[in-house]
Amino acid sequence: MNHSINKSSSLWGDAWRQLRRDRIAVASFWIIVVYLAMALYGEGVFWYFHWKDMAPPYQQTNLREEYLAPSVFRHPFAMIPRADPGVVGSPAVEQRDQPAAKSVATRFRAGLRALAHHPLGTDNLGRDVFQRTVQGARIAFQVGIITACIAIPIGVILGCLAGYFGGKTDDFIVWLYSTFSSIPGLLFILAIAMVVGKGLLGVYLGIGLTTWVNLCRLIRGEVMKHKTRTYVQAAHVLGLGPLRIMFRHILPNVFHIVIITFSLRFPAAISTEVFMSFLGIGVQGEPSWGIMISNARLRLWQGVWWEMTFVTAAIFFIVLAFNLLGDALRDALDPRLRTSER
Amino acid sequence: MFRYITRRIFQMIPTVFGVIVITFILFNIVGGSPAAMTLGKNISPKALEEFDEQRGFNKPLLLGRWSATRAYEDATFARNAGSWRQVEGVTYTAPQRREPGHITLAPGKDYALPLAFKLKPQATYQWVLEYRLRSGAASFTTVDNCQAVLTNRGYTNLLWRPFERTVPTSQPDDVTGAKPSLAAVVGFERQIRFLTTNSAWQTVKIPFTAGADPATFKMTVHTEGGALEICTLKLRRQNANWFDTQFVFYLSQIARFDFGKSNFTNQRVSQMLKDGIGPSLCLTVPIFLVELVVAISIALLCAFLRNTFVDRLIVVIAVVLMSVNYLVWIIFGQYVLGYRWGWFPLWGFESWTFLLLPVLIGVVSGLGENVRFYRTIMLDEMYRDYVRTAFAKGVSRPGVLFKHVLKNGMIPISTNVVIAIPFLYTGSLLLESFFGIPGLGNMGINAVNYSDVDVIRAIVLIGSILYVVANLMTDLCYALFDPRVRLG
Repeated sequence: MNHSINKSSSLWGDAWRQLRRDRIAVASFWIIVVYLAMALYGEGVFWYFHWKDMAPPYQQTNLREEYLAPSVFRHPFAMIPRADPGVVGSPAVEQRDQPAAKSVATRFRAGLRALAHHPLGTDNLGRDVFQRTVQGARIAFQVGIITACIAIPIGVILGCLAGYFGGKTDDFIVWLYSTFSSIPGLLFILAIAMVVGKGLLGVYLGIGLTTWVNLCRLIRGEVMKHKTRTYVQAAHVLGLGPLRIMFRHILPNVFHIVIITFSLRFPAAISTEVFMSFLGIGVQGEPSWGIMISNARLRLWQGVWWEMTFVTAAIFFIVLAFNLLGDALRDALDPRLRTSER
Repeated sequence: MFRYITRRIFQMIPTVFGVIVITFILFNIVGGSPAAMTLGKNISPKALEEFDEQRGFNKPLLLGRWSATRAYEDATFARNAGSWRQVEGVTYTAPQRREPGHITLAPGKDYALPLAFKLKPQATYQWVLEYRLRSGAASFTTVDNCQAVLTNRGYTNLLWRPFERTVPTSQPDDVTGAKPSLAAVVGFERQIRFLTTNSAWQTVKIPFTAGADPATFKMTVHTEGGALEICTLKLRRQNANWFDTQFVFYLSQIARFDFGKSNFTNQRVSQMLKDGIGPSLCLTVPIFLVELVVAISIALLCAFLRNTFVDRLIVVIAVVLMSVNYLVWIIFGQYVLGYRWGWFPLWGFESWTFLLLPVLIGVVSGLGENVRFYRTIMLDEMYRDYVRTAFAKGVSRPGVLFKHVLKNGMIPISTNVVIAIPFLYTGSLLLESFFGIPGLGNMGINAVNYSDVDVIRAIVLIGSILYVVANLMTDLCYALFDPRVRLG
C-alpha cells in the first residue's frame, strides 16, 4: 500500500516506464543515437577540414580507385589466415613478397588494414562511400533539427494563442493554417525552395514553413480543452497574465504533442531533403543522401550497386527508427493522436 | 441544407483569397522577377524589361505610382562605381562609417547618363538623385545641348528650380525666344534642374516626360565650380494610376483564368495544364483506387485477426514499407522489374502497359502508411459498444466486420478519400519524370528546374483551390451521411 502511494506516476514517468519496457523503442533509440554520433563526427570532420582549408576526405577524388567494391568483396578472405598466402585476393602487396615471414598477427593486421580501406567502396570519382554516407547523416540531422526549430515555435505559439484567446485571434490563425494546409505540400516546398534559391536554406525554409500546420492544429485543440480546466481557472483567479498561463501552465501539459510531432516529422523531413537534393535544388556541393542516390542511380545500370545499397540502407534505418520510436512515444504519451495524425 | 451549403461556400472565400495572397507573397514579393534567372546572364536589359512587362513584374507590388525600369539600373555605389567606373573625371569613394559609398564628379564637365534602351514615348519618368554639392553648381538636364543655357543663366540661384521649355532643335541656344507651340512639332521637351549646394546629403526628384521620339533623348549631368557627389541615382517610371500594380495584375489574371506563359516552352500555361492533366490522372487515379481497395482489405484482415501473429506481422511490414524511401522504390522498381527482368516497358507513354510499373510502384510505396491508417480506424471501431452488442447478439465475425464496422468506418475513410482527391491532379512528381509520363508532375519538376514561375504558380494555385473545394465536399458528405452532424 505504502509503496504504491510513494511511487507517484506522472505522465512522463509513466511514459518513460512504458518506453523502457518496449524493446523496439529502446532499439530504435539506440539506432538514433548511433546516427547522431555519426552526424556529430561528420560535423567535426567538416569543420576540421573547413578550418584547415583542405579538401575533406569525402571530397577527395582518386581516379585510380574509382568504382572500388566494398572491401569485404574486394578481399573476401582477408581475415582468414591461410596456409598459402599470395593467391588471388591477397590483401597487401608486401605479403606476397615474403609469405613465410608473416605471423598470424601481422596477417591479421594487414587484413584489417585492407578491410578498412574504403570499407563501403568508392564512387565514380573514387570518393569514399562510407565517408560520404556519414556526411549525408550530418546533412539529414541538420535538416531535421533546423526545420523543427522553424516549425515548432511557429506551431506552438500560434496554436497557444489561437486556443487560449479564441475569437478574432482564433479566426485569423485558423484561416492562416487552413490556407497553408490547402496548398499542395511538396509543390509548396519546391516553390519556396525555388524562390529562395538552390541550397540548404531553401530546404530549411521550404520544410519548416509548411510543417507547422499540423502541430498548430493539435496544440490549439489541446489548449482549448485545457483552458476550461480548474488549474487554469485557479491561475486566472490568482491574477496571472495570459502569457504566463499559456506558456508556464498550459504548455507543459500539452508539450508531449510537440515531442510526438517532432519524432514523426523528423523522418518526413529527411525524406523531403533526400527528394530535393535528388532533384538538384537541395544541398549544393556537399554529399547528401539525395545527391548520392542521384549519382548512384546512373551507375546502378552498370552494375555498381554498393553506393545505392548503402545509402538506401542508411536512409531506411534512420527513418525506420524514428517511425518506430515516434509510434512508441505516441502510444506512451497520447494514444488518441493515432487517428488525428492526418 | 441549402443555407448550410451557401454558408460553407462563403467560408471558402477567405481561404481562396489566402492562397492567392500567399502565392503572391511567395512569387512576387519574395521571389521577384525571375527574368535574369530564366533568360540567363548575358541578356540585354531591353529583353529583360519586355519579359517583365509581359508578366507584370515591372509594376509596383501592392500600391504605388512609380516603378523601377531597367533602362537605367539603380546605382547605389555600395560596393563599386558600377557603370561609372570607366567615366573620366569620376572618382569612387567606398562607404565608411556614417558616409555612404558615392562617386564624385569633377567640376566643369558634362557627364552623360546612358540609357540601356529607348524610354516609352510620352511616358513620365523621374530621376531620383541623392547628392551633395558643397560649392559651385550642377545641373541635371534631360536633353542635349544644354551647356549654352547653363552659361547664359549663370549660377546665382542655389535653389534648384525647374526650367522647362520646349524649343526647336535648330536653335537650341536661344532659350528666351522659344515658342512652346513649336514643341509639339519637333517633339522635344527640355528640362533642367539646378541642384542646391548644401553640406549634407539631399534627395531630389526630377520628373520629365519622354517625347514622342525618345531616341533623340540624351541626358546629362553638368558640374561647374565644385564637385558633385552622388550616392544614389535611380530612374523611375510613372504608372497609369495608383492601382496599376502587380497584385491587381495578378488578380485580373486569375479572374480571366489566364495563368501566363511558360518561359521555358513558350506555351500558354492554361494549355499546358490541359495537356498535362490527362496523363497525370491516368497514373494517379489507378494508383489511388487500387491503393484504397488493397489497403482497406488488408486493414479489415487486420481487424479480423487482431492481436494475432498475422496482424502484428502486417503492422511490422507496413512500418518497414513506410520507411523505404520513395526514390528507392522507383529506382529499384525500374531497375529490377523493368530493366533486369524486363517485365515492363521502361520509359514512355504509349499504351496502358507503360502505366503498369509506375502504378505498381505508386501503390506499393504508399501501402504501408495507408494500411496503418485504415487499420487504426477499423480497430477504433472494433472496440465500440455496437460491435460488442452485435457479437453478443450472435452475429458472425465476418458479418460484424463487413456490415457494421466497415459501414461505420466509412465516415473517417470517406473524409480521408475525398481530401486525397485534389492531390491526384498534381500527379506524382517523381513517378512521372522517371517514367516519362507527360503529366503535371513532370511539368512541375521541369518548371522547378528551369525556375518557370508561372507554371509552378498555376499548379500550386489550382491545386489549392481544388483542395478547398474538396474540403467543402467532405463537409457536405458528412452532412449527408452522418445524421449526428448538426447543420447550424
